[in-house]
Amino acid sequence: LGTTVKYHEQELVSLLKAREEKSFAYLYDNYSGALHSIILQVIPDQELASDVLQEAFVNIWRKIESYDSSKGRLFTWMLNVARNLAIDMLRSKGYQNSRKNQEFPDPVYFEHVAGSTQLSVDNIGLRKAVEKLKSEHRVLIDLAYFKGYTHEEIAELEKMPLGTVKTRIRTALTQLRSILA
Amino acid sequence: VNIEQYISSGIIESYVLGLASPEERLEFEQRCSQYPELLAAREAFELSLEQFSQAQAVPAPAGMKARIWEEISRADSHPGKEKAGPGIPAPVRPIRRDWWRYLAAASIILLVTSTLLNIYFYRQYQGSLARYESLFANTQETARQNRTLQTSLENSQSSIRMMNDSNMAVIALAGRPLSPSSRSTIYWDRRTKDVYLLAGSLPRPVSGKQYQLWAIVDGKPVDAGTFDLGPDLTLVRMKNIPRAEAFAITLEKAGGSNSPTLEAMYVMGRI
Repeated sequence: LGTTVKYHEQELVSLLKAREEKSFAYLYDNYSGALHSIILQVIPDQELASDVLQEAFVNIWRKIESYDSSKGRLFTWMLNVARNLAIDMLRSKGYQNSRKNQEFPDPVYFEHVAGSTQLSVDNIGLRKAVEKLKSEHRVLIDLAYFKGYTHEEIAELEKMPLGTVKTRIRTALTQLRSILA
Repeated sequence: VNIEQYISSGIIESYVLGLASPEERLEFEQRCSQYPELLAAREAFELSLEQFSQAQAVPAPAGMKARIWEEISRADSHPGKEKAGPGIPAPVRPIRRDWWRYLAAASIILLVTSTLLNIYFYRQYQGSLARYESLFANTQETARQNRTLQTSLENSQSSIRMMNDSNMAVIALAGRPLSPSSRSTIYWDRRTKDVYLLAGSLPRPVSGKQYQLWAIVDGKPVDAGTFDLGPDLTLVRMKNIPRAEAFAITLEKAGGSNSPTLEAMYVMGRI
């Protein structure tokens, strides 16, 4: 790794659209860690998170044509691609079933889970910022952002009026902005 | 619109983090093009999100970069000339998606139509089946009646053939005082000496009783067999009687008697 190139976003996007290999390399080197982090915050299982990360990069590469810079930064778009894929995985049948299986008292598997494959995700990425919120706000952000529930689903889950869910999430989000800034 | 209030409402974070509803997104995008301060606030939040995320990055597993590139190049080389040059938009996707959409719509229409037709034909089938079953039952009944008639006709025809036979001696038995209007007829084959009886107009016996034919031979009654009154007028074959002067019918207990009850004589005729 000799020369460090720094692309402007616009430049990078046109290189990506031109399917230049060096643009992929740049994208990966600069963003894989951040995207890996957001995926892990949704899917704590490292192996599954790796699968999602791979899928995310393939999707970003293929769907770069649909990225519209007037609607946000490239990173914002990629972050949402990664989060959406992770949530798809989280809500898939296969994943739900593997969760259920873990509840069986299989000592070998248990050790495996408790040992190396799962990270404590409370201390990474956005979750670290979310941890600083009041618990009533934290729960709602967890459901909405990290679990992908709609406001309507949350209202039902938390037995709360839809209006309250919306207001609390908005309040939590503005607080999150000041934490991030 | 109070744009300051809108900016601090949480909509920016909601939009950027992908939590806004489609309507909210649309409204937000419109306002971004209208209010530069909103756009600036959005970009500021995006930047702080990106910086924070980069600071919190978790390195991806080793070897993943090469794996992903391999998958990308493999998939890219397959669609053929699709390595579209820079600036050339790929119109292939939307058209294909539309094509699928039409195909899906057509499939659904076909499915619905087919389901409705299935219901319609099933009803038709149920109706036809019921009609078929009733027709089949009718046919069975008709066939049964036909067989009965056939048998009856065959009996009558064979009776008529025998009555018409020139070798048959015909002996009319006339009603006795007990039943003056009764008539019976004996057909006696001269060669075989077989006796056939046409019961004629005997009254229907009470239960437990049966008619018995007697041949009078040398002044003495000889049993020629018992008989029942059938539904049809047919000849009933009785016992073989080689020789007789007269025939008579009495009403006896069921199964017949050894000697006739003379008071219960209904008809009689001499040869």
